[in-house]
Amino acid sequence: MVTMAKHKGGPSASARRSRRGSLARWLNNLLLALCAYATLFPFVNVIATSLSSSRAINAGEVFMWPVELNFDAYHNLIRDGQLIVAMQNTVLITVVGTALNMLFTIMAAYPLSKARLKGRGLMLMAILFTMLFSGGLIPNFLLVNSLGLVNTYWALWLPALISAYNMFVMKAFLEGLPEELEESASIDGAGEFTILTRIILPLSKPVIAALTLFYAVGWWNSYMNVLIYIRSTNKMSLMVKLYQMIDLVSSELLRGEGVTQAVITPESIRAAAVVFAILPILCVYPFLQKHFIKGVLLGSVKG
Amino acid sequence: MTTNTMPTTKQPVGKLAGRAPGFRKHFSRNRFLYAMLVPVAIYLILFKYAPMAGEIIAFKNYRLSDGIWGSSWVGFGQFEKLFASRDFYVVLRNTLLLNLYHLVFAFPVPIILAILLNEVRAEWYKRTLQNLLYIPHFISWVALGSIVIALLSPSTGFVNSLLKAFGIEPIYFMADKFWWPVSFIVSGIWKEAGFGTILYLAAMSAIDPTLYEAAKIDGASKRRQIWHVTLPGIRSTIAILLILQVGKMMDVGFEQVYTLRNDAVTSVAEVISTFVYTRGLVNLQYSYTTALGLFQSLIALILIVSVNRIIKAMGERGLW
Repeated sequence: MVTMAKHKGGPSASARRSRRGSLARWLNNLLLALCAYATLFPFVNVIATSLSSSRAINAGEVFMWPVELNFDAYHNLIRDGQLIVAMQNTVLITVVGTALNMLFTIMAAYPLSKARLKGRGLMLMAILFTMLFSGGLIPNFLLVNSLGLVNTYWALWLPALISAYNMFVMKAFLEGLPEELEESASIDGAGEFTILTRIILPLSKPVIAALTLFYAVGWWNSYMNVLIYIRSTNKMSLMVKLYQMIDLVSSELLRGEGVTQAVITPESIRAAAVVFAILPILCVYPFLQKHFIKGVLLGSVKG
Repeated sequence: MTTNTMPTTKQPVGKLAGRAPGFRKHFSRNRFLYAMLVPVAIYLILFKYAPMAGEIIAFKNYRLSDGIWGSSWVGFGQFEKLFASRDFYVVLRNTLLLNLYHLVFAFPVPIILAILLNEVRAEWYKRTLQNLLYIPHFISWVALGSIVIALLSPSTGFVNSLLKAFGIEPIYFMADKFWWPVSFIVSGIWKEAGFGTILYLAAMSAIDPTLYEAAKIDGASKRRQIWHVTLPGIRSTIAILLILQVGKMMDVGFEQVYTLRNDAVTSVAEVISTFVYTRGLVNLQYSYTTALGLFQSLIALILIVSVNRIIKAMGERGLW
């Protein structure tokens, strides 16, 4: 009898539950849409600000759309030229830095993925330890300084040749490749170098793409190391230049006095500079995001 | 190494006798691999281990003109000076507090977000949301910080315009000792919460769907399914990320603080990394700040090793 009653109550209860479930799902979808909106709104706002008139900005009218559309801020930035130079520097830092990173990461990860290598355990320990303990800012600076690298980009590139984390990601990926590939190639008479460049690397495209992107984004955004090691104004990176621009106007913003005299407020110029700095990433992101995600997941496999 | 030699000792003497040529053969066959490791080893020694050795200047009174060897020893003098100074306790407190706030308020956000995302049925909608939520992760703190400062500006910022519309007086978010840490944590959530969901979502997708089926048959509500199936399924991921977070207790990222801070909030915003930078590299107090850096790294090392041990003792997979 008890089971009968349960069966009878079944459909209506489950219908009620599914109705409640679909409402919950709808609310969940809405909540997530609001999260995404909140995440993106600041970017939309800064783009709108960069294209608005100073009057509208100071009146607090700019929301998601440019008010009294004009391109003066961008004209000013381009005429000034400093940001363009900084961007060229950043491109150079990024391209060379990433190439060196990949070269050295492969040079470390490929041999260390071979279990037969003697001293491999020691080397892996030595690399793992650098993730747990490091020499700190001042000893690093003194080293770079004593090598005479200050105010050259080598001061940025050399100390950061290998990211230990990325090296472990690469190594884990290479260990997952079937060993027979290498064996059959060496029977065919291929040398170690040929095996690496003709067989292993083409098969490692996913991990190479992911790590290249991680390194490149890191270099594009690089800031602290440039602040420390680069002295000449004409060698500054984009982010340092951008910081200098914020710093100049942030004191005004804190006091709550908009600069009303100028035709173009520093705020719209700064907004334009921010857009300058983030636009390249926003533009390539849609095409490359799947590699980023793959990279993170590759890393988590062997944590 | 020992496990390698174990079986060979059991084998005939011939193999033992041929050990040295065997090694030479092994070496010559793999010389390309060893050759690749040479520059890597040089890099590690020069740029990773030499600076560790350079920490000895924490026990000296380092001056650029004297060099590391020429500078005089002061033993623990720098540390005594450090522990006697008020600055030390301020930066230590700020560093720990900001990390604690992060742990309490920011660490759970990606978990919640991942659970919500996991409940989205339409695959395209989920994918789109994820991709949008990941974006801030790829933007530098300098750009994000600049946007945050602009949004929170008391005169022209969007947030204060909104408050004004509700009749609330403008708040000086970035200059207020209460609101600055709040802005700091919220901006951290903005940058990393979305990207932080990736690992949780991956762990969730690995959960056996039959567990959900079974729970449904037992009449478990959605909430109970999340509690009894989803959360246990991502337990080890939470554990690992928690270790990493606690391991970072002594470290607040330089760039976020440096771009968001200002003179009005130094008493809550100065952390170890910014202090080492300004006192060490700007004011040239090399040994003093190296002592602070060494203190920080040692505590961090102890923290991560012990948390890793605790996690392993609890039966989860540790970091190493």
